[in-house]
Parts: sequence; structure tokens; C-alpha cells
Amino acid sequence: MKTLSSIISLSILFLLFSCTPIPKNVSKSEAMPSIYPDYADVTIPVNIAPLNFLIRDEVEAVQVKAGDITLNARGNEVVFDEDDWRELLAANSDIEVTVTTLKDGKWTEYRPFHWQVVKDKVDPYLTYRLIEPDYEIWNNLQIIQRCVENFDEKALCDYRLTNNQCMNCHATGNQNPQLSMMYVRGPQGGAVLNQNGKLRKLAIKTSDMVSGSVYYGFSPSGRYITFSTNVIIPAFHSRADKRLEVYDSKSDVYVADLQENRIIRSSLLSDSLTFETFPTFSPDGKYIYYCAAPHVQLPQELQQLQYALVRIPFDEATGTIGTKVDTLLNAKGSSVCHPRISPDGKYIVYTVADYGTFPIWHQESDLQMMNLLTRQIDTMAIVNSPRSDTYHSWSSNSRWLVFASKRDNGLYGKPYFCYIDSNGKPHKPFVLPQRSPSFYDQTLKSFNVPELSKGEIPFDAVDVEQLLQQEAEPFH
Amino acid sequence: MLKRLSAIHSRLLIVFLWAIGCFGFFQGYYPYHFFYKEQNQLFLWTNDYLATYFDQPAWLACMVGDFLTQFYYYLYAGSTILTLSLLLLMGVLYAALRRIGLRKGWAFGVAVLLTTLEAFCHLRYDFRLASTYALIGGVSLFLCTFQKRYLLILFSPLAYWLFGYGVWVYLLLSIIKNWKWMIPTSITVLIGVCFLKGTYLLPTDRLYTYPGVGKLTMPNWYLEKQFQIDDEYYFGNWNKVVQLVESEESLTSEMLFFYNLVKAQQGQLPDVLLRYQPNVLGTFYKVGPDTPMLTIKNMNELYYALGDMTFCERATLMACVFSPNNRNNRMVKRLAECSLIKGDTAAAQKYLGLLENTFVWRQWAKKAPQSKVYAEKATMMNQQDTISLSDNAHAIMMQLLDSNPKNEVALDYILCSTLLLKDVKSFKRDYDRYCLSSPRIRKLYQEALCIWLAAEQAPQEQWQLYIKDMSVMQRFMQYNQQRGNAQFKDTYWYYFDKGKAPQI
Repeated sequence: MKTLSSIISLSILFLLFSCTPIPKNVSKSEAMPSIYPDYADVTIPVNIAPLNFLIRDEVEAVQVKAGDITLNARGNEVVFDEDDWRELLAANSDIEVTVTTLKDGKWTEYRPFHWQVVKDKVDPYLTYRLIEPDYEIWNNLQIIQRCVENFDEKALCDYRLTNNQCMNCHATGNQNPQLSMMYVRGPQGGAVLNQNGKLRKLAIKTSDMVSGSVYYGFSPSGRYITFSTNVIIPAFHSRADKRLEVYDSKSDVYVADLQENRIIRSSLLSDSLTFETFPTFSPDGKYIYYCAAPHVQLPQELQQLQYALVRIPFDEATGTIGTKVDTLLNAKGSSVCHPRISPDGKYIVYTVADYGTFPIWHQESDLQMMNLLTRQIDTMAIVNSPRSDTYHSWSSNSRWLVFASKRDNGLYGKPYFCYIDSNGKPHKPFVLPQRSPSFYDQTLKSFNVPELSKGEIPFDAVDVEQLLQQEAEPFH
Repeated sequence: MLKRLSAIHSRLLIVFLWAIGCFGFFQGYYPYHFFYKEQNQLFLWTNDYLATYFDQPAWLACMVGDFLTQFYYYLYAGSTILTLSLLLLMGVLYAALRRIGLRKGWAFGVAVLLTTLEAFCHLRYDFRLASTYALIGGVSLFLCTFQKRYLLILFSPLAYWLFGYGVWVYLLLSIIKNWKWMIPTSITVLIGVCFLKGTYLLPTDRLYTYPGVGKLTMPNWYLEKQFQIDDEYYFGNWNKVVQLVESEESLTSEMLFFYNLVKAQQGQLPDVLLRYQPNVLGTFYKVGPDTPMLTIKNMNELYYALGDMTFCERATLMACVFSPNNRNNRMVKRLAECSLIKGDTAAAQKYLGLLENTFVWRQWAKKAPQSKVYAEKATMMNQQDTISLSDNAHAIMMQLLDSNPKNEVALDYILCSTLLLKDVKSFKRDYDRYCLSSPRIRKLYQEALCIWLAAEQAPQEQWQLYIKDMSVMQRFMQYNQQRGNAQFKDTYWYYFDKGKAPQI
């Protein structure tokens, strides 16, 4: 159906292009063109899909010159041919883009901008959950995999085939599509584990846990996952500009052995006086990084609930947790969330918010990057926005970072890609390109927890529907 | 010849009378269901949105049905569109039945009967016009192809793609016309549809019935009444809301809720609080995942009237999320209003941009940012920041009043809510907090204050400070001599002694 709709769209575009005005008597402007999404002066990977955009103005026609491509279009939308685009990216490392528009019968050429094309590819597949930016409820959720090299999509889990149950985000182990997990909550639900395309339904919960697993990450071998159990409480700000607050009233961290269906515990990770959450393995599997905060009275002292970035050793060979917790970052006046380490082990990127554990609803949430060797912190000023920037994930080559940002309107999250060069310098991010430039204007869905993988995930929503009929494997 | 003409005339007369009856019934007795259906979608006239119809079977039926449904917003349009659509169904059914060999009289009778049954399906609040167009499409396709066997076979899968479950009508008619070829074709289509699960991501039963087989339904007058009061309020016909309630014998909680909402915004809530028992203010509702959709929508209206944009936006988003396909133009419009009031231009532009792509709301969306209403409403917003675990309306109203003591809607709601609960102590606390400097002299409040003053055995100065209406004082003394006497039914004292407070 997607193919058909694209054929129809292309046919419509063909008809439009066939009688498109060509610029003449052009006047030059020093202003930047008002384009959406903001693709001006961004760094892009050689394998990204066309950066289609629109002009935020009531223009009659537009001409775009990008490298060797000259594109004339009626209306305000700029949609590149996919083959031409691939050739353009393969042949150029610095593309100058000149936009000329026709408005009120006058052509205006704007100041050109550049696309810096890097040979470092971004992992070609992106998974995310589509959800309304609502507060404590859900309806009609989907987990989608999108190929970022083109516009192909497939549903990994779909509300219509799961009795409209809640589902949580899909995470891969080491960006490997053959190792991944996601959750379907509610009756018949469970953790859906993909190991080389074979699906298993797991009940990763024992009676001593405060909840089932919530945030998780795979060990390098894929044998273990480290996960948190969280009692999540939604609360409401009375100030209209703040909306929702979500916090944990209890949380602990565990490790699950996926081979023996066994839970590995440590009193250091389930301390009743400490909140532990957001665990992730280091790429060498020697540490579990997570966030920890001392107990406070909730919700009264919520604004004092500030998490530090810590780590504890782990031995993958024996499946044992170490005995000493190191603190990497305990920033006063801010709370650390979602630590994710680059696959090469050099950097750790995390979110900082004023307080709490739900940065997606904190407008001040920003990404930060720590060099794990020097402990130097980069505030990633070029990456962050005045609105929430969080839920990041690395590409397998450690050169690309994808994260969810609400920078456009504070409500709807979108996946942004950011290049981290070999010197560890972040570049201006760009939003996931769409076939239609007005897609983001028209969607009522928020992109939640984007995660990259090196290949296509080998199952789909129908496989998940069938799996959910089975009994879940218990853990002990 | 004359006999034939007479038969044609009589059939035309029956069709005419049927159409009048259909239009008359839906327009005269069932018009508010149309508004509900219209609100439960957000049809955008954009390539992107139209392309989404290809993601499901029956794209043509759904596109036509939804396109027409958006015009239900206009007066008389719903009944007119539905009647014409059903007449179209009747016409194609008649023609198809004739083609398969039924005599005129039988074909006509069956067509009228089936169309009447389809009309009954439209009595349901969630039955889509798209379903009728799925039938129209299936039958029409048969009419276009029945003469050529290969066309009948060729168009079978196309019928499913275009008209969803309309394919079964198409195949049924085709089998009657040419069973030898069409039975194997039908079996192939029947089996083939099963394999489309991965394409359309629909459960098996929905794959075969998309966009939805109708269910014969009797009119739901209760729901129609609920929709009526809700829509009249939404359209701003507040006098009609009052009139409807005051002329109604069996009042629903929905009616009382909107009646109070109108009266509160007219500054008359204390005057009518005791008029209907048990009364419904909405301030004791809690919104959560299990709250009925209509209640969630009501809470959006209540918080909008009170001026709390946090909880208004929350209820609105929830109502939108629980609408079919998470789309509801009324809620999107309200989200735009909330954002405009909050001064959140970027969020407002998101919703206004969507509405600018609709036929019905385009002009409204263009003009809304200039409206002074939202700037005035912004002065009522909560300026404090606290965190609460649930939508405790009392706490919310206190914050609203602390931010803006002139918010009379919040003031009357907070005072009336505590009075309805017979919580005179809290009433007195709130009255002192918000009314001592500028007393709000209302008979209801004066009567409630009498109870507190009497219970506290307050000194004379206190009575003088609070009781400004001497007639209340005199009546209070009379009531104390005849407690529970029905002639005091209009007083708060009688409600306090004999009325039943709502359970929370």
C-alpha cells in the first residue's frame, strides 16, 4: 500500500512539475530561506534518505539547486528524486543549496546554505514508538521500524493485533537486529525477545520485584540484560506550561540471565534508601552504568529528586555483580537520566534535567556528553534546544546519535540525528526526513525512544500477535 | 401502459415518502448523532492525509464517507447527506437486483427493505457513512462489470481494495449471475483476504468486515439527549441549554452538568444549585483511563470555563486519544484554544495548521490568533506551580482564585461544591479566603453562613459581618421553628437537613 501511495503521490508531483515556472528576473536576498524542517547547514550521512523540505511561506513556486541537481516545483514543497539524491550524496562532501522562490510574481534567491556529507554511515534502521503526546494513558500504539536510507516502514508491533494493549519501546543489543527486546503490557503481555529471528515471550518478574522490567539494556554477548523495575507515578503541574510530571516512587536494578531464565541481584542495586534506574551495560560488559538518587519525600520534595550517574562492575563470564559503586557525575542542581555509552566506549551521553526521571516532559532537558577517559563534559550546545532533548541512542560506528526532541512545539517528539566527529565534536542535528515535507505538520503522533540498528529486525507485528498467544517463560 | 406508468409512479411515490421519512426522522429526532460523528474525525484536504486511506482496505468507501461526514457540522447537512446516500444505495440495489433477474416489484421491495435496514444501522453513534459507501461501491462495481465474465473475476480483488466488505455483496451478486466462475473466484478472494493481515495489520474479523458491518439498532434517545445538550453548549446556544433543561422532566447528569456550567458563566450558579436534586457540578469527577469518554469531554469544558488550561488540555488530549483513530476536530480546536490562551504560539500553530487544512474550520483557524477572547481568558490562568497526583478540582480552583480573585466562575464552583457536599466548614473557610474583602451576597451563601454562625453560636457582630440579607435572617428563624418543613424546600437549610449529598 505504501508503494501504491508513493506511486500516486509521484504521479501527482509529475503532473505538477510538468508545468512548473522557471525563475527569471531574480532578485537576491541576504536572508536565509524559511525552510522546514530546519535542514540548513547540517551534517548528514552519505546514506540518508532525501532531505525533503518545504518553504514556510505562501510561495507559488520554488527552485532548489543542490550540487548538480536543479529542482523546480510548483507550490512550497521540495521533494527530491531518490536516485538523484543518492548520486548527489555519493559525489559530494559539501553541497551548496540555493533556494529561489516565486511569491507575488517575483522571484527571490536566498542566501545559500550547506549540507556537509560525511562518509560515516548512520545505521540504516530506526525503531520508535508512535504515541500521542498524552499523559498517563495510551490508545492505538505502534512500534515502527523505518529504513532511514529511504522511506520504507514496517510495524514491529501494532495495537490492532495486540488488543490495543500498551507497548514499550524496542531496544537492540549492540545495534544488532538479531538481538532485541520490547514489551507488550497487560493480559497476554510480556517481554518479546528476538534472538536471531526466533521470538520468546518472557515474564521477567519475580515476587520480590516492585514491578516488571521497565528500562533495560543488553550485555555485549547478549546473554544478559540489565533492567530496572519502577513504580511510576504520574503527577500534574498546576502551571500550564509545565504539564506532566512523572516520577518513580520505588525503583531497583537487576540483571537477568536470558539463557537460564535467572535473576541476578545485588543489595547495592536494590537499596531501599536509594532509587536506582536507567541501567545500561558498558560496551565491554565490565560495568553496569545507571542512575541513582537518595530517597526523598514524594511528591513534596520532588524538586530535590536528583539522580547521579554511577556504575558498578559486572563479570559477564560468571554473571556476578561487583561490590563497589563509583560515582561518575553528581551534578548539583540537575538530575541525570538515560546514560548510553558509545559502542567504541569513548563517550557516554546522558540527559540532564532540573530534577526527576522523566525528561521528555521537562522543557529544560538537554543532552550532555562525557569523555569517559578524561571525564570532560561537553554540553552539546549545538545539539540542544530550549525544549526537551532526550532518549538518545548510538549508531554502531559511534559517529551518529539519534534522540527525541520536542524542539518544534514542546509536545510532539521527533527523531533527530547528530553527527559526532572523530574529535568528539557534535554537529548540528537534523530531523528524520520524510517523504512528504509536511508530514510532521500533519501527524498527531509523537516519536518515542528512537533506537538505531544495523539491519532490518527479522520479525513483524503478525509474528508478535502469534507469540502473544503463548505462555510466557517464567524467571526465578 | 397506464398500469405500467402507475406502477412507476407508485414506486417513485414510495421512494419519495421513504426519503421524506428518513430525512424527517434523522433531522427531527436524531440530528445530534451527526454532530458526534462529525466531531470524531479530522478530515484533512491534503495529499498526505488522503494517502493514509491507502493503508487500509476500502479506501475509496472510507475516503468518500469521511469526506461527506465532515459536512455533518452544518445544519440539515447530516440528514440530507445520509438520506441521499441511502437513496443511492437503494437505487443501485434495485438496479443490481433487476440485473440478477428479480422482477421489478420484488427488486424494489428488497431494495427498500435492505436500505431501511441500513438506515437502522445509522442509529448507532459509531456507525460510519463509509460502511454504506462500501455497499454502494460493491453493488455499483457489479453493475459496471456484470456483463463480462472476465471483468467480474478481474474486479473481485479490486472490489475489496476499494470497498472492503462491499466485496462480499459484489461476489454474492456475481455468484447469482455466474455461479460457475464466481464460486471459485469468491473462494479465492475469501482465502486471499486472510493473507492481507500483514499488509493491513487488521485482526481477522476486521479484515473481512472493514470498514464495519452495521448492527440493527433501535434509537438511543438517552444518548441523543446527551449529545444534544453537549452540542448546544458547544455551539454557544446557552439559552437553549437552559431551556432544554428547564423543560425536561427526566434530567440526565449530562444535562445538569451543562446547565450548571452555563449558569456559572452567567453568574447564577448559586441561584440554581438547589433547583435540581441530586445535582451534578462535575467538580467531583476524576479523569483517568477508565473515565467514560463523555465525562472526559465534559471535564475539558469545565476546566476551560474555570480557566485551568493544564487540566483542560489534559482532558482534551485524552478525549482526542480515545476518539476513533485518535482524531477529533473539536478536541483539536480546543487544543489550539488552550495553546493560544497559554501563549504557546508553536503548539497553537501545530493545531491551527491542521484545522486550516479542513473545509469546515479553515476560516476559524485563520482568525483565531487575533481573537481577544483568548487574551482575556489568559488572565484567569493558574500562576502557581504545585504538583498533584490527581485532578483535585478543589485544589485547582483554589489556585485559580489565588492567581485571580476575580474569577467568579471558579469562586461559585468552589463554594457550591462544598455546599453540595454539606461541608459548611470548608465553605466558610473558602468564603473567608475569597469573599471577605468583597462579599458575594447570594441567598444560597447567606443561608449556608447562617448554619455556620448558628453552629458556632457566633456573637452578634459576626452575624452582622456575614449576613447582609435580612430576609434570609428572618426566614432562618422561621425555619428553626419548623425544621424539615417542605415549604422551605428552596433553602439550603432544607437541603442540609433533608437532601442527599453526592458520594465522592
